[in-house]
Amino acid sequence: MSSMAKITHPRQQINGEILPQPCPHLAEFLSNNGSKPFRALQDCLRVKPPGGRASIRRDPKEVPRCGACGESARPRLYACITCAAVHCHVPSGPSHAAAHAFSMPPGHEIAVDVDRAELFCCACRDQVYDRDFDAAVVLAQTAASTLASSATSAVQQYAPENLRKRRRIDYKPWIPNLREQYLVGKNSSPLNGDVSDLPWGLRGLNNLGNTCFMNSVLQALLHTPPLRNYFLSDRHNRYFCQKKSNADNAAKKIAANTIDGGGNKSAARVCLACDMDATFSAVFSGERTPYSPAKFLYSWWQYAANLASYEQQDAHEFFISMLDGIHEKVDKDRRKPESQGNGDCCVAHRVFSGILRSDVMCMACGFTSTTYDPCVDISLDLEPNQGGSAKTGSTKSSHSCNGEADCMNSSQNCGVSTLMGCLDRFTRPERLGSDQKFFCQQCQVRQESLKQMSIRKLPLVSCFHIKRFEHSSVRKMSRKVDRYLQFPFSLDMAPYLSSSILRSRFGNRILPFDGDEHLCSDFELFAVVTHTGKLDAGHYVTYLRLSNQWYKCDDAWITLVNENIVRAAQGYMMFYVQKMLFYKASEKPGPA
Amino acid sequence: MRKSVNRPPTPDVAENQEKEPTLQELINIELIESGEKERLMELLRERLIECGWKDEMKALCRAFIKKKGRNNVTVDDLVHVMTPKGRASVPDSVKAELLQRIRTFLVSAAL
Ligand SMILES: [Zn+2]
Ligand SMILES: [Zn+2]
Ligand SMILES: [Zn+2]
Ligand SMILES: [Zn+2]
Ligand SMILES: [Zn+2]
Ligand SMILES: [Zn+2]
Repeated sequence: MSSMAKITHPRQQINGEILPQPCPHLAEFLSNNGSKPFRALQDCLRVKPPGGRASIRRDPKEVPRCGACGESARPRLYACITCAAVHCHVPSGPSHAAAHAFSMPPGHEIAVDVDRAELFCCACRDQVYDRDFDAAVVLAQTAASTLASSATSAVQQYAPENLRKRRRIDYKPWIPNLREQYLVGKNSSPLNGDVSDLPWGLRGLNNLGNTCFMNSVLQALLHTPPLRNYFLSDRHNRYFCQKKSNADNAAKKIAANTIDGGGNKSAARVCLACDMDATFSAVFSGERTPYSPAKFLYSWWQYAANLASYEQQDAHEFFISMLDGIHEKVDKDRRKPESQGNGDCCVAHRVFSGILRSDVMCMACGFTSTTYDPCVDISLDLEPNQGGSAKTGSTKSSHSCNGEADCMNSSQNCGVSTLMGCLDRFTRPERLGSDQKFFCQQCQVRQESLKQMSIRKLPLVSCFHIKRFEHSSVRKMSRKVDRYLQFPFSLDMAPYLSSSILRSRFGNRILPFDGDEHLCSDFELFAVVTHTGKLDAGHYVTYLRLSNQWYKCDDAWITLVNENIVRAAQGYMMFYVQKMLFYKASEKPGPA
Repeated sequence: MRKSVNRPPTPDVAENQEKEPTLQELINIELIESGEKERLMELLRERLIECGWKDEMKALCRAFIKKKGRNNVTVDDLVHVMTPKGRASVPDSVKAELLQRIRTFLVSAAL
């Protein structure tokens, strides 16, 4: 009937995913085979070990071979869905699978790749997709229905190492809608009207006595494009905020006095967002002499003094407490539950918060529990050096003898650690022993498990924290790791997104999860906080990229530097912004 | 009945399946049955990602699809175009590592 000229596969879009339409043969097959067209295949789905790839075997021990030529080593072997005959296929070469489809009456076109459990049309010579079939395969690979229903927060039985450090704060992330995306983009226009050679807002910060940990992070925050735009467009006005909180406090005091007679007047006044506002005003005033963020330091100290666990002097700890501080204040302003429900949190979280996905799979039965955790940065382990690390190697190639070697090689051809290498390791499946407390709901005991992290939602600004300070249980922190880490100026985060990670685990199919929520996965580096020296006697310096020039911000001193100096620096925190915002924000005409 | 316009050339008549398996056949079966083949594939996948081969191929695929139009490319077309390029650009070190693994396997399997 149909001429075989050129079959096009129109595509439709659902949930932002492009779904290929079935080819005429698949459509025909589906309409002729009732509600469960792939029923027979279901019994042949093999997954070994749990978490491995899916394949199709009638008998687990079977070595499939082509029914026509007897070959078992051809690149592709396909089993006909209708009659189960296995045939070989060489793209654009001789194909016994295609010959089978043509020699039989219509209905033998659709076949399944025996080693990949992916559908193929032998007549169209193209991959085809069926949502139900793919869902069945994914189900078989995870052996339980948790993935489909996802986000069952009750299944949070484990504390992933990388999340341990994070503060548990209850907030909904903000996902900009189209209008907001437009506004963000539109308001990211370059700041002009500057007469000096230096970019606007570049101003040294005086050291107030070992405060380089604060200065270094402040410099990065002051030049974080979406944060800068927020404060410079007067979205958090300190005069207004203080007036408002004074009024609120007065009201509270009256209420409190009538009950227990007062107290509790201290902490309420501190608003780190107000102090940020003041700092932005000072730094972007056009004045170039170094600024002393004394008021800021005082407020932060007041705020952080209540928090026992903060180690002062650590730039990363300071960063985290800063964001928490901004969040807490703004949160109080917004008591209305509706505004939290639509993800409209504080500016700190709108800018920095992403969502991590964590899949933990039971190695015994394949049961998988999936959790989502908001995060404001990603803490990465340096890749282990010669054998001295607690983390044991890769679990992908389940050969114990290879574990160590895999680790070494993953650092991109001998020696140099890279940020991408760290991210690869971060998103690589990691085997957890039964002592590492994964309680399998299905087995009802602690089991060995496979944990894999991925990024469900990228933030507008990604901060990577490199774990250079190794803490030991034997009293305080023990040492600092001085190893060099290469980091790119442009970074594509696509490989670390949940969709990519899941695709590599489940093969090429329609996945029954919603896609990643992100604007785009291309990021540009704009700030690097570096640490030099020892643990206790170290010094923090920040490199800023403004208008495609690099500037070294060493407390009060600002100098123009060559980019090679930045590349050679010992990065402790790297700040990347979505490319879309970066170009609009900090590029003068004439990109590099 | 179907038209035979686009019918692919009929493959060679199936060879006699009763004949003695070749050494290559034997090795292949041993590799599959022991699970070593799957491990080798996994290792290969990892190596090809690490050395950037996968990204390179991905970029080439994208370029090809862009050129032809996304509705006019089949998996077969892609594989056909990419295979020579892909084969040629596998780093020697990766080939050597796999060869070594296969050798070790053969020795231990005492084939
Ligand atoms: Zn078809
Ligand atoms: Zn064949
Ligand atoms: Zn058939
Ligand atoms: Zn305020
Ligand atoms: Zn918040
Ligand atoms: Zn289990």
